[in-house]
Amino acid sequence: MEKPSKTIVVALAGNPNSGKSSLFNAIAGTHLKVGNWPGVTIEKYEGQVDYKGYKIKLVDLPGTYSINAYSPEETITRDFIAEKKADVILNVVDGTNLERNLYLSAQLLEFDAKMVIALNMYDEVEKKKIKIDFKMLQKLLGCQVVPVSAVKKMGIEAMLDQIVRTYENKITIPRDKISYSQEVEAAISEIQNLIETDIRSFKKFSSRWLAIKLLENDVFAQAYVKQSPAWVKLEKRLPEIMKALENKLEEKISQRLSVDRHAFARGAYKETVEKANEEKKTITDYIDSVLLNRILGLPVFFFIMWLIFQATFTLGKIPTGWTQDFFVFLGDKISVLLPAGVLRSVVVDGIIAGVGGVLGFMPNILILFLGLSFLESTGYMARAAFVVDRAFHKIGLHGKSFIPMVTGFGCSVPAFMACRALKNRGDRLATMMVIPFMSCGAKLPVYVLLISAFFPASMAGNILFAVYLFGILVAVLSAKLFKSTIFKGNSEPFVMELPVYRAPTLRSILMQMWLKAWMYLKRAGTIILTISLIVWVICNYPVSGQLNQQYEVKIETVKQNINLTAEIKKQEVAVFKNELASKQLEYSFAGRTGKMIEPLIKPLGFDWRLGVALTAGFAAKEVVVATMGTIYALDGADKKNESLAQRLRSDPAYNPAIALALIVFVLLYVPCLSATSVFHQEAGELKITLFYIFYSMTAAWVLSFIVYRVSKLFL
Amino acid sequence: MQKKQLKMSELKPGDKAVIIAVSAQGEVAQRLVDMGLIKGTQFKVLRKAPLGDPLEIQLRGFLLALRMKEAECVSVERKEVLNGKTK
Repeated sequence: MEKPSKTIVVALAGNPNSGKSSLFNAIAGTHLKVGNWPGVTIEKYEGQVDYKGYKIKLVDLPGTYSINAYSPEETITRDFIAEKKADVILNVVDGTNLERNLYLSAQLLEFDAKMVIALNMYDEVEKKKIKIDFKMLQKLLGCQVVPVSAVKKMGIEAMLDQIVRTYENKITIPRDKISYSQEVEAAISEIQNLIETDIRSFKKFSSRWLAIKLLENDVFAQAYVKQSPAWVKLEKRLPEIMKALENKLEEKISQRLSVDRHAFARGAYKETVEKANEEKKTITDYIDSVLLNRILGLPVFFFIMWLIFQATFTLGKIPTGWTQDFFVFLGDKISVLLPAGVLRSVVVDGIIAGVGGVLGFMPNILILFLGLSFLESTGYMARAAFVVDRAFHKIGLHGKSFIPMVTGFGCSVPAFMACRALKNRGDRLATMMVIPFMSCGAKLPVYVLLISAFFPASMAGNILFAVYLFGILVAVLSAKLFKSTIFKGNSEPFVMELPVYRAPTLRSILMQMWLKAWMYLKRAGTIILTISLIVWVICNYPVSGQLNQQYEVKIETVKQNINLTAEIKKQEVAVFKNELASKQLEYSFAGRTGKMIEPLIKPLGFDWRLGVALTAGFAAKEVVVATMGTIYALDGADKKNESLAQRLRSDPAYNPAIALALIVFVLLYVPCLSATSVFHQEAGELKITLFYIFYSMTAAWVLSFIVYRVSKLFL
Repeated sequence: MQKKQLKMSELKPGDKAVIIAVSAQGEVAQRLVDMGLIKGTQFKVLRKAPLGDPLEIQLRGFLLALRMKEAECVSVERKEVLNGKTK
């Protein structure tokens, strides 16, 4: 006998909100790997756990209600299971919502693969006094059903046991196949017979599954069957069978199959579940009667959003202060340790000023991500889509656009990817075009820096909120413009589950927050570090020997001047050194680039130094602050112990009006390189990407100009 | 007596009804069917969104939001409750 391989690949499949991810985390703990599905940019989570000598490899399939391959989520699930990439399917079902969840189980069972059902949220099932006849359910479904609670970490071991036993074929429950209506069954067996004329090539899939999928016009099954010798007969008979069946049913075959599956799910549910007092008002009813109230719904929505941004600024300010102090301290210490020269300059002015400038804002970003994760895991995010759909529909978008747009507050990259949930191309492109106006986490440091430099602390939270609102306003107007011009056409239907409210576990929220924050950190460590170094190089080279000589002479003259006291000498020398640093910066590549684009941005009140920062910002928005950090570190050699905000405030070249214009410009202009490349990848057409770049640059320039000119009158 | 057929979109919050037919086409039809909106399904209208659209209904033990436009594709029969009895 062949020795069994010790690795078991387990695919987790289930409805959205079935607690699939929490179960995944409960099993795999923190040992997870995040990636993308090949070819598609939907997040892929993989984890591993050792159990009784087996390596259980978990793959979290995207949550889906059905497997009809309408959406990429469904296609991924279908391909993964159909191609037998998993040894065992772990179907996660919400025990409190069994009937709806069993509809997907019915489809999964058709694959004829080894399967275990994890009946999740069993703690809630017990609390609600729902009685489930497991024996009967197992008999009806033909696979093991294990009660688990991901949140309470209950039943996990028993579930792993069943997975191993199922894998080792130690469990054989006779399968009562889901039977369809008589007419359908007749058609299925006829097609099955035709398929089985060529047994060898169909070892891979069950013939019944292929037959069912062919009846559903599934492209994957069709493509597979076409390669087989059985196709000779099928090609002729299949359309005939389908036509005859459709005439008999008087409805579309796929529709009838779905109806039959629902009947199966309902039957299984009715036979096995006993529910106590169904009419009782649930907690969700009470919460929704406030949160979705006709009058309170919208104010509450705005209040929740406002609260998150207030928290981001107010709470984030304290630890942000510490981290910034830490980097100033670190810079000072290293300055002492390293000898003056190129190395010290690279480390202190390049790396610490650049990366530190970005990491300093980590607390703000963590709080923002924490808030978004909280809304997601409680179930409010879907409600928010429900509340705003009408308004979104009016401007030509979709309630579902809301989720990518809110994600956009974190980072545009996952937000662009989240747009895949929108199946209508016009909806999707219009949403993608406006996402970058939803100010991303990377832009936050720029606002925080400028606001704290130029405005009183009491106004800071409100200004920040206004910046975000302004971005939303621009997004809304742009969406309206796009949908009534270039992306005309029908919108996607809005059919969406509103999950019941659940108190999320701290662990799961922190986990989600951390996954998002980790992306940000990784960027800080790689892209931003690289760019900081490049910025340092272009700020320091080429060096003008002539300038150096000129100032050496000047400084020497001061030093030789016997009429001056030592104190005055020191001051004069410092002034000259500063002037030299400034002039050298102007002479450098960065200075030249900045000077070159200065005429373009002069009307906005920006000087060449901001030109350098904004140009670097094409690479990544955090770099705007990092670049300013580097420029000012080089520029103000005598002010090493001042923070960047203090230096900006004391610089006569800047004022609140410029700060506002700069905020608006950073808010609106082209997102970072990685976001733009993902945009291009998702949009799929160069024309659209180029149009997008042109549009955002124009919007940024025009609106900054207006903001600058108007606020100059008042500030 | 033949009961009057209505569209789901014509129901008021609090109404209970049974689905008679779904007349949507293509993807919309599949989506509605996948979410359990099929002939014979009982449901209750919970509320409309603060802006009047979409609609929230309760069926098969879960909550579903759908736009008025989609609700127009669903013909229903209202279950009138008189003296606590379903007529």
